[in-house]
Amino acid sequence: MPELNQRPKVTVEDLLHLKRAERPDVEFWTKFERELRQKQLTALMEKRPWWQELPRFLTRRAYLPVGASAVLAFTLVSVKYYAPAPLAQVELSPTAVPVAPGRDLPAPVAPVSSPLVNRSESAVAQSEDDSAASSAQTASQAPDEAVELMPLLVAPRAAEKPSARLLAANLSRMEPVDADFSSRLSTPAREQITAAAEELASIPTNTTRRNRLLARYEGRQLNPEPAPPEVVRQRLARRLGDIESDRGSRLAREIDTFSTPMPQIVALRF
Amino acid sequence: MNLSKVFTKAIISSPERQLEADADLAVVKQVQAGDVAAFDQLIVKYRERVFGVVYNLTANREDASDLTQDAFIKAFQSINRFQGSCSFFTWLYRIAVNTTLSHLRKNRLRSFFSLEKLQEDGVNTQVLEQLTDKKGADRDTYLQELKEKLNEAMQKLSIPHRTVITLFEIDGLSHSEIAEVMGCSEGTVRSRLHYAKQFLQGELGKYLRS
Repeated sequence: MPELNQRPKVTVEDLLHLKRAERPDVEFWTKFERELRQKQLTALMEKRPWWQELPRFLTRRAYLPVGASAVLAFTLVSVKYYAPAPLAQVELSPTAVPVAPGRDLPAPVAPVSSPLVNRSESAVAQSEDDSAASSAQTASQAPDEAVELMPLLVAPRAAEKPSARLLAANLSRMEPVDADFSSRLSTPAREQITAAAEELASIPTNTTRRNRLLARYEGRQLNPEPAPPEVVRQRLARRLGDIESDRGSRLAREIDTFSTPMPQIVALRF
Repeated sequence: MNLSKVFTKAIISSPERQLEADADLAVVKQVQAGDVAAFDQLIVKYRERVFGVVYNLTANREDASDLTQDAFIKAFQSINRFQGSCSFFTWLYRIAVNTTLSHLRKNRLRSFFSLEKLQEDGVNTQVLEQLTDKKGADRDTYLQELKEKLNEAMQKLSIPHRTVITLFEIDGLSHSEIAEVMGCSEGTVRSRLHYAKQFLQGELGKYLRS
């Protein structure tokens, strides 16, 4: 009989190999199969939550219509939010249409008593006379008639101020060129124009500045027409002459500065 | 370590395993075509191996049985998603391990070992004789105690180390196969295996000096 100390050692590996023999008996597997069947039937009976059905739904080749629907929805949403909105049709209200006296607007107009009309009425009442009152009455007439706002505001003054008269004439001239201009012209812009017309009227006669201001509101070019080449050359020559004379005088001054006695300067330095 | 990625790669390094994978794929195709009864073949074929892996991770028979059943049910419910990119057993392994890991995380403090009956007809009797000189009931008691200690020691290992030692020593996989399954290098497998053995040697040393 071998002695105890000569017996080969059992290693950890041997012990672990013993675990291979650890297996359940047949009864265990019978019970295992029965329980597995019950669990399978239970799993078939129970209703799976909708989020667990999604992977199965997607594996049934439903991804193509789902993807197409998503792309279509995204396109519609992006078009809705990012497409340029159609220009809102501005109501052609009596207050919105500046028309020269006596002109008829082609578009029908709804009767409106807008603040502008009221303001114009008040402005007219402050300064003016029957022509304004009749225009205000005209402003409250039937929808088909265009209320002449600008004439309402300008006409009373036009009789008095040539600048305002000119402005009104230009506006009426612009109307056939751009039929929508009057509709696009917003109330604040019109107010600005009237204010500018008043300002023009108050400015003392100064042809040059007045012409410039008028040009600004009439859309004329501020810059005078380009001068002929000879004129340009004369101007340039004059300007260059000025520059040279300035430079010469500066140079002369510097020379005078340096013509002072050097020893003094040297002595100061050293 | 994310064991959900552990068993994603196929263990198809050997021709036998390749044949096994091909046979499994044919059965899976039948099941996907609607032959639900064909899935029973896969259950009967792999239930012991899956149970063995789960049992060695949990060291509890009842939990291992429940978790093995849950793994098969989950595999059946998602059989349509199996595309054949890996072997069926690798895919089934991954489901079983993920289910077990979830269970272990929920029951971290629970440590109840229920040991399997040791089938001595399949065991190296020479090893048993070398373990103890005791006979009869004393021997059985001694062996029972030894198994408990072994399970306790294995439970002290981290899950990666426990997995490596289970796959190598109990399931009989090679280093390269384990590396392919666990997504690591063979060197990592060897180092983990060495550490696990050293640890178990220290824990069970006195039982091995009989």
